[in-house]
Amino acid sequence: MGATLKTGGSRAESRLLSAILVVAICLTLAPVVRLFVEGITDKGAPSLALMQEVLAQPSTLSALKHSLVTAGFGTVVSLVLGAAFAFLVALTDLRAKAALVFCLMIPMMIPPQITALSWTQIMGPSSVLLKTLGLAPPLGSPQPLYSPEGIILLLGIQHMSIIFLTLRAGLRSIPQDVVEAARISGARGLRTWWQVVLPLTLPSLAAGTAITFVTALGNFGIPAMLGIPVGYATLPTLVYQKLAGMGTTVLAEVSVLAMLIGAVAVAGILLQRFFQGRQKLHLVGSTARPLALPLGAARLPVEIALWGVVCAILVLPMFGLLATSLVPAYGVPLRLDTVTFELWHEVLFRQPVTARAFVNSFGLAAGAALALMVICLPLAWLMERRKTRLARLFDSLLDLPYALPGVVLSIAMILLLIKLPFTDATLYGTIWIIFLAYIARFFAVMFRPIQASLKQLDPAMDEAAQSVGASLYRRLRDVILPLSAPAAAAGAILVFLTAFNELTVSALLWSSGTETLGVVIFNLDDSGETGMASALAMTIVFVVMALMALIQLMSRRFPKGVVPWQT
Amino acid sequence: MKSFLTSSLFALLASTAMADKITLYTSQPNADAQRTVDAFIAANPGTEVDWVRDGTTKLMARLRAEIEAGNPQPDVLLIADTVTLEGMAQEGLLTAYQSPEAANYDAALYSPEGFYHSTKLITTGIVYNTGVEAAPTSWNALADASLKGQVAMPSPLYSGAALIHLATLTGDESLGWDYYEGLAANEARAQGGNGGTFKAVASGEKPYGMVVDFLAIRNKAEGSPVDFVFPEEGVSYVTEPVAIMSSAKNVESAQKFVDFLLSDAGQELVLDMGYIPARDGMGVPEGFPARDDIKLMAFDPAEALKNAEANKAKFSELFGAE
Repeated sequence: MGATLKTGGSRAESRLLSAILVVAICLTLAPVVRLFVEGITDKGAPSLALMQEVLAQPSTLSALKHSLVTAGFGTVVSLVLGAAFAFLVALTDLRAKAALVFCLMIPMMIPPQITALSWTQIMGPSSVLLKTLGLAPPLGSPQPLYSPEGIILLLGIQHMSIIFLTLRAGLRSIPQDVVEAARISGARGLRTWWQVVLPLTLPSLAAGTAITFVTALGNFGIPAMLGIPVGYATLPTLVYQKLAGMGTTVLAEVSVLAMLIGAVAVAGILLQRFFQGRQKLHLVGSTARPLALPLGAARLPVEIALWGVVCAILVLPMFGLLATSLVPAYGVPLRLDTVTFELWHEVLFRQPVTARAFVNSFGLAAGAALALMVICLPLAWLMERRKTRLARLFDSLLDLPYALPGVVLSIAMILLLIKLPFTDATLYGTIWIIFLAYIARFFAVMFRPIQASLKQLDPAMDEAAQSVGASLYRRLRDVILPLSAPAAAAGAILVFLTAFNELTVSALLWSSGTETLGVVIFNLDDSGETGMASALAMTIVFVVMALMALIQLMSRRFPKGVVPWQT
Repeated sequence: MKSFLTSSLFALLASTAMADKITLYTSQPNADAQRTVDAFIAANPGTEVDWVRDGTTKLMARLRAEIEAGNPQPDVLLIADTVTLEGMAQEGLLTAYQSPEAANYDAALYSPEGFYHSTKLITTGIVYNTGVEAAPTSWNALADASLKGQVAMPSPLYSGAALIHLATLTGDESLGWDYYEGLAANEARAQGGNGGTFKAVASGEKPYGMVVDFLAIRNKAEGSPVDFVFPEEGVSYVTEPVAIMSSAKNVESAQKFVDFLLSDAGQELVLDMGYIPARDGMGVPEGFPARDDIKLMAFDPAEALKNAEANKAKFSELFGAE
């Protein structure tokens, strides 16, 4: 950073930085602080009594244990699946990689409760698919997915994309020269992988594992759909059940539970930071050419195996979902004479809640993406130029609302907004509380890519504009915006797709008229309308896949880096 | 963002300009709630109804939170049981309304002050998957050791109807808490609401269950492999009463809604949707025995309200449920 920058920045910049920073801190960190205060006070005075009481309850301990078990083993499943795919896709000469990657991204983009719903449709004595094929297990046999193992399996599938993406990014930064040097020295096949590639990718593998663990820990949709029916509670579902059953009278109690989840999540994040800090490998050489180790005769069998897995985790459950949505009542086998679109018609055209939820989810997702872009673009740039102490502190904490499970953030939001300071007004029960929660939750998703792209910017460009007298606003518009636009667009796409499918945050914050799509599916299934829930879930899967396909098709016209799963 | 702004704007306009709108909180299934609202609007053009559906317990939790935040949403409640509404009436959360239609109802079916009026009879009996060999005919059959691990039922911690079912059966001399102890020893599953219980039975995962009549009878008519039994000891029942909140913003339209539900046309709709109407002199839907042949077990709402918390606690203890 040059001397001109330290002294030459305009006062306008300082003021703008402070203003945006205050807004950003209010949006992201204030709820977390409010939650913390609730847990360690009793009627205004500091007290640990409540915390001791809640932590001593047997249900708390069993939920904590269940959370650790399902998130832990779920991460192992993700790790095995995601790493296998990442190594094979990034290092070998597989064909149709783009299509494979696209299909692998879909489980991440499909809401977890739809994943759970679709899997329960293809297994157990209830399966319309198995019944139609005459393979259904006998009456009275349990649904195998209603178990810790079921939750672990689906958490693993849901989050394998995270491992896949982080690991592939790590693999791509390995210069081909290193591998070629090893090969020239006589290393072959597995040995290259074991002795050269694996050690180089361990840091990104570890970081990906930590993120996956924290995400699985906060997952609500899967343990809710698979665990609640058999009384297997994880921390997020315990919080949900307490709040749903008793209302805001138990807010203080659940805030302690929320802090407990938060503590485990933060431990996971610290672990990730630790591993990333150790990533001090200095690699040289070009990374432009992707690696393409020849698989030789094994190529076709490996390809068949990979596509088989994709089929099993993606296509099969979707068929189950479709079959259930097409029969008139639960338990009826699907035959030509039983096919009906009645449930589709009912849920899509007769139920006003569906249209409401589409408008809400779409508006919230688009609104959050847009608002975040407006805040994050100037903020990231100003923080890059003026490293004030407050800015640095914020930088180190802004991942927190995203890292904390959605349930935790929702509780924090309710505490913060149920009584607005200095007024009688409340945001609880309005759409704004969901909107603000989305802003807090997805702040890091938008901010980090923009920040990364601005770090690579040559400050000379901005200085040149400044030296010819361009105002702050003009420099932002004409220099910074175009240069960081691809990163912002990638962030916006990710924010939009995740917010569109969101359940965990809105499950606690929805109210009359502010239902989101995730909430509607969950509630329909909960009331026994599994067919209608399946029909709506199928619709959402189609919409998400269409959106992704559209982005993929248009990706050639976008600058490099806009499509998140292609970076 | 634009559509978001537009929708917020519409919501704002709707709440200010459209005075003739009521908000309904109901525990009816989604499709029934929509049919009820459509029929009411057809009979009362110009009135709009926003409705929200959830299980009675969860709906009440939401409502409590809204009251605490000083912003209760609904004008009208149409939920499973009189016990919940009796409690709310005692707290002053309901407004009294003497509907002129009440003259056609048994006095036991509405509160004397007019705080709530029953709209239908929903009984809880036995449902079983038609794939089983022998159909159970009595409540006791479900506690028989031969059905160990095969029975599902809704949790009273979750469903209003299930709580009343518990109060009715445990209050019965021949059954009592011994019966529930038998069920617990038989590893009966008691999680979630009636929806989840029906699903478990229809899917064959738990071939026997306790469930509300209409879910079983209606789905059977659509082809689900289930059948419904009115056990020889009798059935428990809830009456899905309607009530107006004391915080209602549009009392006049709310009263119209109550009158409509209790009217001949409203009760015809109840019948048509597959429920037993509460009004005198109406028939029963297809698939039900004649109303005189349905044996209703004795039930005292005041007693049930008094014991509600103790019953829930005892139940949690027996079934180890949260």
